[in-house]
Amino acid sequence: MKKILLAALLPVLFFSCTEPENKTAGNDTPAKADATVKVLPPVSNYTNPDRSPMDIVYFPTDYPLLKMTGKTTTPPLMRVIYSRPQKQGRQIFGGLVQYNMPWRLGANESTEIELFSAATVAGKPVKPGRYILYCIPQETKWTFVLNSNLYSWGLEQNRQKDLMQFEVPVEKTNLAIEYFTIACEKKSEKSTALVFLWDDVKAKLPVSF
Amino acid sequence: MRKTSILVCLLISFFFSFSQTTRPPEVDKSPMDVSYYPNNYPILKIQNKATEPLVVRILYSRPQKQGRKVFGELVEFGKVWRLGANEATEIEFYKDVKIGGKKVPKGRYTLYGIVSENVWTMIINKDTDTWGAFKYDSKKDVLRTDVPAQKTDEVVESMSMFFEKTANGISLIIAWEQLKVALPITL
Repeated sequence: MKKILLAALLPVLFFSCTEPENKTAGNDTPAKADATVKVLPPVSNYTNPDRSPMDIVYFPTDYPLLKMTGKTTTPPLMRVIYSRPQKQGRQIFGGLVQYNMPWRLGANESTEIELFSAATVAGKPVKPGRYILYCIPQETKWTFVLNSNLYSWGLEQNRQKDLMQFEVPVEKTNLAIEYFTIACEKKSEKSTALVFLWDDVKAKLPVSF
Repeated sequence: MRKTSILVCLLISFFFSFSQTTRPPEVDKSPMDVSYYPNNYPILKIQNKATEPLVVRILYSRPQKQGRKVFGELVEFGKVWRLGANEATEIEFYKDVKIGGKKVPKGRYTLYGIVSENVWTMIINKDTDTWGAFKYDSKKDVLRTDVPAQKTDEVVESMSMFFEKTANGISLIIAWEQLKVALPITL
């Protein structure tokens, strides 16, 4: 078994050394592809799942499961609905996602954040409600923006509907994350950091209730 | 070359995954999806092409058939089903509507179904943000209404939901395997 593993690893090591030459070629990205999106009649009504699937994050983490198993009886505090693009060998920040340009924090629709109670986000008070959340990434910091233009596709932001901004530093991760991920890093029952992970970048937005 | 690179990346991430202590959540096997009426509302909105306001949004997770027998086995007849996978299916109305002759005030609800070969009982329930139908409580029902099930010509691999315009309003179409129902919604 060990030999087989080794045999499998050798070509991996070999190819991974030759890999960088090809990195810059071909950047046909899903994010760019939908820049020209038109509403076309579907070939079949029964579409396939999206290439960048939607996902949902609650705080408390896994709230629906907690509720189902009877481990919570209080309402949820927050939820985020976003779509999860994949790295697929591409350079993400400063490449696919350009610096200093608004980014939808995902794919497809704008990322939606709902605060079920009054919250403090990165030190600023925010009223309960549903917002869209996007960011303007830079190499060392991200500016998160809450905006009221709900139910919009994420390629264009209506900047006139911006409500608040929060600046946070970014960290580097040791390992490239394939799927764009939003998760909650719990600090206490009522306090968390929304963590945004993709490629080798990690940003944290503190939220407390 | 591209295929090789993908394979290499997969292998590398596979081997590295052993040494990693914390890993971010994987992508769901039954991915979440969303449908709106008007269809594709978010795209229409940013193109300024929306001719009517947003009426309804449905959030559900899409299990795949994957060669299994779905109705009667995987989804048992006569039991309350979450109409998807993972979290219970959420339907949100942005205006008051009527379903099965009853008023549904605008708001966020959970949609369940009791399936059979010929008739599905659709349930609108007030208990939101829950998982599956495991804690389904009929006391929180807003309404129940029966709709006939029809056969589809094609086999639907991924459970699908979308809205269609009708003479009286819209219908929510739900299809999987070879069964399909239409839930009429009067606007």
